[in-house]
Formats: sequence, structure tokens, C-alpha cells
Amino acid sequence: MDVVSQLQDQANHMASLFFNYVGALQRDAPPVRLGDEPPPPPPPPEVDVKGQGKMMATAVVQAAKTFDALVGALPVTAGGEEEQLKRIAELQAENEAVANELQSELSAMEAELAQVREVFHLVVDHCLRKPKVVNAK
Amino acid sequence: MAASAYPPPPPFYRLYKHFKSDEEEGEEDGRSDEDADKTKGPDSAGEIGGEDWDLPPQPPPPITGAYVMYGQTYGTEDVLPTLEEQGLRQLYPKGVNVDFKKELKALNRELLFNFLELADVLVDRPSQYARRIEDIGLIFRNIHHLLNGLRPHQARTTLIHILEVQLKRRKEALAEIRRRREEAKALLRGADPSSKEEDEKPKESKDGDPLDIKGDLMELDQGLEGAFDLPKLM
Repeated sequence: MDVVSQLQDQANHMASLFFNYVGALQRDAPPVRLGDEPPPPPPPPEVDVKGQGKMMATAVVQAAKTFDALVGALPVTAGGEEEQLKRIAELQAENEAVANELQSELSAMEAELAQVREVFHLVVDHCLRKPKVVNAK
Repeated sequence: MAASAYPPPPPFYRLYKHFKSDEEEGEEDGRSDEDADKTKGPDSAGEIGGEDWDLPPQPPPPITGAYVMYGQTYGTEDVLPTLEEQGLRQLYPKGVNVDFKKELKALNRELLFNFLELADVLVDRPSQYARRIEDIGLIFRNIHHLLNGLRPHQARTTLIHILEVQLKRRKEALAEIRRRREEAKALLRGADPSSKEEDEKPKESKDGDPLDIKGDLMELDQGLEGAFDLPKLM
């Protein structure tokens, strides 16, 4: 897949990470004490909020680094639009000239092939018409 | 009337048949009236095709401007709308020559910073989450707009690459053809015994024959005399 499509996919992947992780953090966050309320009960042991947070942070940073690496892999843009269009026009003209040359060479080659075939037919005719000489022993 | 399992073909196929020739052939072969009727063109064929009534009608001209399809209006010009036209703020500098790499990396850093701020806001001031989410959304839209702006450049670069590959292949084919022609000429000169004495002389033919084959045919014929004698082969 080309680099631009990979960049687009990576941007979408980062957006999905942000969305999912914020939702998971909000869902699994333990209740907070407000004012003089009694202390909230501890969260169930299965939910490791801190561990999850570390994992999520690692994943987000990794995604950002991948995005940076893909941006670095973009080819250097040599020249603007006008220069590219000029190069395209030059290549098209050159292509057309070579195509015409190729066509003329092909025509000449076909003519030569026809001549060679004619010679071959003459040789074969000569061989076929030539009387066989058998030595009587 | 026989029933068919398949629907009949659309009637446009009749526009692509030469009914005149079919009709004349039908009369010459002495086909039955039923067969002749089948090959006759429709009565309106003359109106559709004009003077050349057995030719299909010209295709409609290409559409320009806007057109409506299934209730939706579409345009024929593919232009990437600017962020201002979409009602969004542009975060990178405006201009024709934008440094895509630099701006994408800056937006990536900005995105991480805004995500951290969102996490902080959710802890300290949860009611103010909307502004942070809006900022993150704006950064993502700017990133995608930059990437979309790269596509025309990518298309032009791809086209340049394709043209270069095509040019290289054509030049290689041309060189190969020329080499093969020279090889063939060398072989033919070698096969003509009379030409061995005059190898260095350039051959000039009367009719501009590049290989001068016709001019040497008689000599070749004489040179082959006795070349295939049976006693020699045995």
C-alpha cells in the first residue's frame, strides 16, 4: 500500500485509540470521594486501572511514532506542479518520437522478413526442381 | 408463441446490424418469408441513423457542469474543497508550497498534546471536555486535508514514473530490433557465396533494396548449383 494511504490509516487508527481508551478509562475509573462522604469501596481486583493506563499510553506513543516514521518515508517533493507537468509533457513527446521510430523499424523489419521468405522459397524451389543424380554402381 | 426462460435482449442490438446487406442476402438465398422478416430492420432505423441508416447513432456528448443522479447533484470537476469552504480553521500556513512533512509532524505533536490535555481535563474539570474534543477533531481534519492534498502530487509522480518505464522499454525494444536486423543481414551476406569476395564493397541496388537480396538472387541461384548433389552429401 502506498505511503499516503498508510498515513491515512494510521491517523484513523490513532483516532480509534483515543476514542476507545478514553471510553475504557472513564468506564473503569474508580469513584472519587467528594467532600465529607465516606471513602469509596476499592475497585475489584480484576480491573487493573494503572496497568491498563500504562498499556494505553504505550500504544498511543507507539502509534504516534509510527505516524512520524511514515511521514519521514514520504518521498521528497522535488519541484512544484508546473515542473511536474512540464516533465510529463517532455516524456510524452519523447515517448511519441520513440514510438514512431519503433514503428518505422518494425515496418522495415517486416519488409526484410518478406524478402527473406522470398529467398527461402526460391531456394526450396531450386532444391525441389533439381533432378536427383543417382550414381549407378 | 414459444416461451423463453431468458428475457429477450434489449432492442438496441438492431442498431448494430447491417440490415441492408442482410436483406439483400435474404432475397438472393431465397429464404422463406419468416426468415426474411427476422432480418429486416426496424422501421425507425432510418430516422435514428439519418442518411446512414444502418449505422448506430453517435454516443451522447460528455456532460459538463453539474448533473443530477438519483436525486443528488454531482459536479464534473474534481477539486479538493479548502478547509474554509468546509467551515474549519486551517492550522498550517496557507500557500502553494506547503512543507507537507514538517506540517504533518507538527500536527502529530499537537495531537498528542491535546490528548494529554483531554485526559487532564477529564480528571480536573470533566465538564469542559467538549472544547478539547473539538480541538482534537480539528487537528485530525487538518491532517486528513493535508494528506488529501498530497494525492494530486502522488498521481503526477506516478504518471512520470510510468512514462519513464514505458520510454525505457520502447528504447530497449528498438535496440533489440536493430540488433536482430543486423544479425539477419550478416547471416544473409554469409549465405550468399558470391558476396564473400565482395564483403567490403557496399552494395548498391537499383530499386533501393536495403538487403540487395533481389540483385543477388541470380548469383545465389548459381552458387547453389551442385551444393546439394547427393554424392557429396553421401
